[in-house]
Amino acid sequence: MICPECGSNVAAKRNRCERCGTDLTTFKKVTMLSNMYYNEGLEKAKVRDLSGATFVLKKSLELNKSNTNARNLLGLVYYEVGETVSALSEWVISKHFQAENNDADDYMEALQSNPTKLENLNQTIKKYNSALQSAKQGSDDLAIIQLKKVTSLNPHFVKALQLLALLYMKNGENDKALKALSKASKIDVSNTTTLRYLHELDEKNDVEQENIRTGKKENRKAIQSHEQTVFPTTTYKEDKPNVWAFVNLIIGVAIGIGVLFFLVVPTVKKNALEEAKKIELEYSESLSKQTANSSSLEKENKDLQNEVKKLQQQMQEYQANEVDGAIYDKLFAGIQTYLTEMAKENPNDIDYVAIADSVSTINPDQLDVAAAKDIYDQIKNASFVQASQLLYNQGHDQYSARKYDEALKLLEKSYEYNPDNVDAIYFIGRSYHQMGDLENAATYYTKLTEGFPDSNRAREADSKLREIGR
Amino acid sequence: MINFEEEIAKFQPSLEVEQAEDVIQNNDLTDITDLIKSMIKELKDK
Repeated sequence: MICPECGSNVAAKRNRCERCGTDLTTFKKVTMLSNMYYNEGLEKAKVRDLSGATFVLKKSLELNKSNTNARNLLGLVYYEVGETVSALSEWVISKHFQAENNDADDYMEALQSNPTKLENLNQTIKKYNSALQSAKQGSDDLAIIQLKKVTSLNPHFVKALQLLALLYMKNGENDKALKALSKASKIDVSNTTTLRYLHELDEKNDVEQENIRTGKKENRKAIQSHEQTVFPTTTYKEDKPNVWAFVNLIIGVAIGIGVLFFLVVPTVKKNALEEAKKIELEYSESLSKQTANSSSLEKENKDLQNEVKKLQQQMQEYQANEVDGAIYDKLFAGIQTYLTEMAKENPNDIDYVAIADSVSTINPDQLDVAAAKDIYDQIKNASFVQASQLLYNQGHDQYSARKYDEALKLLEKSYEYNPDNVDAIYFIGRSYHQMGDLENAATYYTKLTEGFPDSNRAREADSKLREIGR
Repeated sequence: MINFEEEIAKFQPSLEVEQAEDVIQNNDLTDITDLIKSMIKELKDK
């Protein structure tokens, strides 16, 4: 216990303050009485006898103003009946007497942490005051409208419910009055005003029951039940959200999806398939057309190629049969050379190679005129053998000088002018042999052994063939 | 039978938040303990 004189802590068993010596017997009794009233107020509050709780809690505080428990509970009771400012003031004062470990901190924090809620409560109180003013001025309808708004915003505002019920009763709307009073009764079961109004309604219902048989028993029972002092504590229940709305929504969506899959999708698929088939048909038709075109084009191509070949053959024949005018020029040049060379006084100066060269490019088959052909033959006979010998000699010199390439050129030309020149054939083979071209060497050796087997060169060629393993 | 006018007159306005400060300041916090203390003091002074 705290000494009321000096404020020092005193043990509970002691009846006198050790510091200031004050007799604490009376103070202790007063404190005990205050606590007793607090306990009584707590019991009443538990059964929702809020008016009774308010009365005894005030008594407790009259005895001991620093009884913070009683003050906090009084604040809660005020808050429950809608007197927010009274509740706040009690908690502030409680905080003044007990700064630490005070439940009033939590209560005020809960209220002031949400500024919107506090503002709404304040607006509710202002609306109630305005409605009260309207009622006092006789504007019942306006007051009723305002009070309906107030009670919807703060369903625990007992005074607003009572005033609304009173106005309903004044206007003869007893059912609505009873409804409002029922709500007020549930909050504060022993409120004198509420009970008086209910009693008033009860008396009115008794009178009406003499004329009307049905429909009022429930009200009477309701009124009788309200006269009881002990009520179970009601709990605040929020309206449950309507689950069925969501269930219906989900069912609807499921049905919609089912319709979609079983009706719409197959039709769409079928249409898509038909479209695809149509396109496929068109493509196959165009493809077959193109194939037909392609085959006809191929046939035409073949025919054209055959014709081209025919024409080419004809052209070749024409070319072959064409009279080459240039050939006679060559013949005349050959004749000229022949005459020139033959006119030389010294036979050793005759250049048989030149004569042979001048007519070597002439194809005797192309000479139409027989005389021309004879001339050609004459020149050929007069020059080719000699030219072959001369060329052989030159080629042999080159062969001896190991100039096999030059030797081949001359020897091959010698062989050309006289295919029977076995020496030329042999040394052509020898030149290829010396150059390492055994294939060509063997070819020419074989020409000798097969074409001229009796010649001396044939035996030599044979030995060379054996030498190279042929 | 209820007299509606009398009943309406009994209703008092509720305190608004703006009035809270005045209410707290004007709150008479004298209790029995204070009275006993003053009585004891008077007795002592006598």
